[in-house]
Amino acid sequence: MSMLEEEISTTLYFDRTFDCNAAKISPGEYYFTKQDMLIVTVLGSCVSACIRDSISGIGGMNHFMLPDGGNADKDSPVSESMRYGTYAMEVLINQLLKNGAKRENLEAKIFGGGNVLRSFTTTNVGDRNADFVRRFLKEERIRVTGEDLNDIYPRKVYFFPKTGKVLVKKLKQLNNYTLVKREEAYASKLKTNDVAGDVELF
Amino acid sequence: MANPNTKFLVVDDFSTMRRIVRNLLKELGYSNVEEAEDGAIALGMLKAGNFDFVVSDWNMPNMDGLTMLQKIRSDPAIAHLPVLMVTAEAKKENIIAAAQAGANGYVVKPFTAVTLDEKLNKIFEKLEKVGA
Repeated sequence: MSMLEEEISTTLYFDRTFDCNAAKISPGEYYFTKQDMLIVTVLGSCVSACIRDSISGIGGMNHFMLPDGGNADKDSPVSESMRYGTYAMEVLINQLLKNGAKRENLEAKIFGGGNVLRSFTTTNVGDRNADFVRRFLKEERIRVTGEDLNDIYPRKVYFFPKTGKVLVKKLKQLNNYTLVKREEAYASKLKTNDVAGDVELF
Repeated sequence: MANPNTKFLVVDDFSTMRRIVRNLLKELGYSNVEEAEDGAIALGMLKAGNFDFVVSDWNMPNMDGLTMLQKIRSDPAIAHLPVLMVTAEAKKENIIAAAQAGANGYVVKPFTAVTLDEKLNKIFEKLEKVGA
């Protein structure tokens, strides 16, 4: 299967700084939990939505970017990249709803979309990702209670779903290019894989 | 392509996704499209209106796509309606459950316009054969 599925992160650890269990998510992954724990990610031009049920406290985070379709209509609502973004948001929200969240209780904080990949040919990938996530939540009428988007810095995001608290550290000095490399690998994976699910025949 | 007047009902709790499917159908030449945001609303509309085709998500509040499909198949007035499931549920169990409930096709999100077109045409072809 060439399908590019959003996957649940399996990187779990005990975070000594915050003294709690934590899940770390990479590009293309998401994580959700009912537990009092921490979800962490590092964003460059990618975006993350931290979405939770404000009553029950179940919440989760995704981490994605829109694939660069390269064609003229890439910002059209039916383009491949918009469909992929919608899918990445839907997968997370569906998991929350399946596990008891109520749609009317959902609130979101959104982060990322920094213009950090200067080698990209497309005009500002980060801005495009940020615009997408804002527009999606507005259209789905999910309340945005906080955001830190755009700019030029990578961010480390710490999300505590139970309380809704988010800490963002702007990484003004990147000591190595791991982040940039990881995002570039993710971007090229999105580009080479046809962003489409398999069709099952019966 | 089948009859361009084919009346579609697109069922999905995400308005973004309903718009995507609606626009794709339009690109494929089908502009007679209505929308419903969950299975319960859809079922009411199907019973009331002359729909020809249902494109439905799986995960939805109130009534999910699978339950809706089962209810469609158990109501003689609308049991004949072709139903295409378009869903992010990619597990084999889901696909088998949909097949057993009588889905005419299954597309896993994210999907392309080509995939949707192929799938629709396959369903139309099969229906024509049965009808002939």
